[in-house]
Amino acid sequence: MEFLDLLMLGFGEAMTPANLGFCLIGALLGTLIGVLPGIGPTATIAVLLPITFFLPPLAGIIMLAGIYYGAQYGGSTTAVLVNLPGEASSVVTALDGYQMARQGRAGAALAVAALGSFFAGTVATFAIALAGPTLSGFALSFGPAEYVSLMLFGLLAATILASGLVLKAIGMILFGLLLGMVGTDAETGAERLTFGALELFDGIDFIVIAIGVFGFAEIITNLERSGSEGVSVAPLTRLWPTREDFRASWRAVLRGTGIGTFLGLLPGGGATLASFSAYSLEKKVSRHPQKFGTGVVEGVAAPEAANNAAAQSSFIPLLTLGIPSNNMMAMMLSAFMIHGITPGPSVLTNQPEIFWGLVASMWIGNLLLVVINLPLIGLWVRLLTVPYRLLYPAILLFCCIGVYSMNNRIFDVVLAAGFGLLGYAFRKAKCEPGPLLLGFVLGPLLEANLRRTMLITQGDPSIFVERPISLTMLVATVILLTLMILPSFRKTREEAFQEEEA
Amino acid sequence: MAAPGSQKGDHPDLLTAGLFIGIGLLGLVMSRHLDFGSLARMGPGFMPRIVCLLLVAVGLLVGIPALRRPGVAIEAVRARPLIVITVAIVGFAFAVTHLGFVVASLWLVIAGSLADPGGRWRTVLLLAAGLTAFGALVFVKALGVQVPLWPV
Repeated sequence: MEFLDLLMLGFGEAMTPANLGFCLIGALLGTLIGVLPGIGPTATIAVLLPITFFLPPLAGIIMLAGIYYGAQYGGSTTAVLVNLPGEASSVVTALDGYQMARQGRAGAALAVAALGSFFAGTVATFAIALAGPTLSGFALSFGPAEYVSLMLFGLLAATILASGLVLKAIGMILFGLLLGMVGTDAETGAERLTFGALELFDGIDFIVIAIGVFGFAEIITNLERSGSEGVSVAPLTRLWPTREDFRASWRAVLRGTGIGTFLGLLPGGGATLASFSAYSLEKKVSRHPQKFGTGVVEGVAAPEAANNAAAQSSFIPLLTLGIPSNNMMAMMLSAFMIHGITPGPSVLTNQPEIFWGLVASMWIGNLLLVVINLPLIGLWVRLLTVPYRLLYPAILLFCCIGVYSMNNRIFDVVLAAGFGLLGYAFRKAKCEPGPLLLGFVLGPLLEANLRRTMLITQGDPSIFVERPISLTMLVATVILLTLMILPSFRKTREEAFQEEEA
Repeated sequence: MAAPGSQKGDHPDLLTAGLFIGIGLLGLVMSRHLDFGSLARMGPGFMPRIVCLLLVAVGLLVGIPALRRPGVAIEAVRARPLIVITVAIVGFAFAVTHLGFVVASLWLVIAGSLADPGGRWRTVLLLAAGLTAFGALVFVKALGVQVPLWPV
């Protein structure tokens, strides 16, 4: 059983005291971020990215992954207790969760959410462990042409599954691609789009953009609509779920896990989409759909299982193909890069301890979340009463130190402030900044692979349709584009995201 | 749909179009001297130009229909947080290089707090002192960020 041996190797790596500690810190920090509204996981990871530079690679990545799935967990706690989803992925949890809390069943809702998440996390972790080697073996046969088609498909699919206007998302991706080209051209040595600034010859740092667009811009927008203080906390009862709750929810957890694991794999999928889909599926298959929204336990169990499963399984494309599927994974990709690891099929063969260590740590992290957080719920809730006025100076300071510490340059901080203003303008224009990061990360990869393909074929683009994998991907891309133009599909897509807006 | 007296046009979308077209044109101007190359041997100007052209096209696709739609206003811009936060960040960058971490951090927290009119001086000063001490210990001492603590 090679698979088990490798998993054991992973557990050996993840169980060292230091890595266990970073896993715990990450999970706790993630929960904290998830609980506090106004700080998203994207911004947090952007802030902490430079800090992980000082840690060993695996420890840094374990901690960042912990923040990511911890945030899914924390977001649901506040969704249930105060009807205030900390993250977009727990918006639907608030629908039934808060109603349960008002009926004095908060403890049951939280326990079901935690246990459902843990189960989903376990399944998704195994999915990564099983799918990883298979998919990366498959990916090893990819040539540059396949990568170009895969990236085109991924970028386009990401815009469709993300919320907001598709055209705007495409525009943001293009802008991201453009930003990725700033600096010295890798192939010809020509300097591009640098305004003649020496500091830009090496390109723009991912962290500068991420902190500017997510950190600084988010602080400014949040300050514009202050007055979010004074939340009423539903009374917390320490009730273990009843046998009835368990009976009603186990099927929902199973369905949620399935949907979540699958949707997490898709480009642009991820936790938010998964929780919405799981909730609507539950409503469809339920024998009492009219009761949804009044505090049914399935309405908590399914989306919670789904968002956790998706959060985990969205690591699969990154770890096996080296292609991030959403902006959180774009963050993780740059975290790997900081440590000199290029995610992709070769990691599994050359550095198996990184892959399996991360997989094992995810499972441990999920366990830690259940064991530690249920008793800590009271503390998290009290944190909600901390006003934003006291929080944002701290976030501001961490952002500034993070950007500055990369190269000790004034230039980077000023540039990040500039991206903050740009990010603010995009927010006013109702443009989701997430796709920008995806474009920025994939830009150089896309260009290099496109050049390589064209060089091999001496400028003959027919290679893209001659290679079967590439052709499949391109056909899928064309189908997506056609669907987008069809008005009936556009309408369904808008409806699917309507609950999110509400 | 539009309120009486309001202009026509979906303003957030028009702003989007303006940003996309502006960035695209800027990119085209800046990459004008770069070699385009051929399909077989792409020059450094190949991708930037294509991406910029697409960006302008997307900008037009977003902008033109928005002109005819009923008026939607952009959320009001509040200058105070926008200016205060930006000035605080830029000030931090210069202060941390020339005056050391302690001064820079105190400046950032105190100046940044002015963005929210509700703050009280005592809380702000306490917060500034606490965060500066925390930052100095965790980032400079423990994590080894290469910054002088005091003015040099």
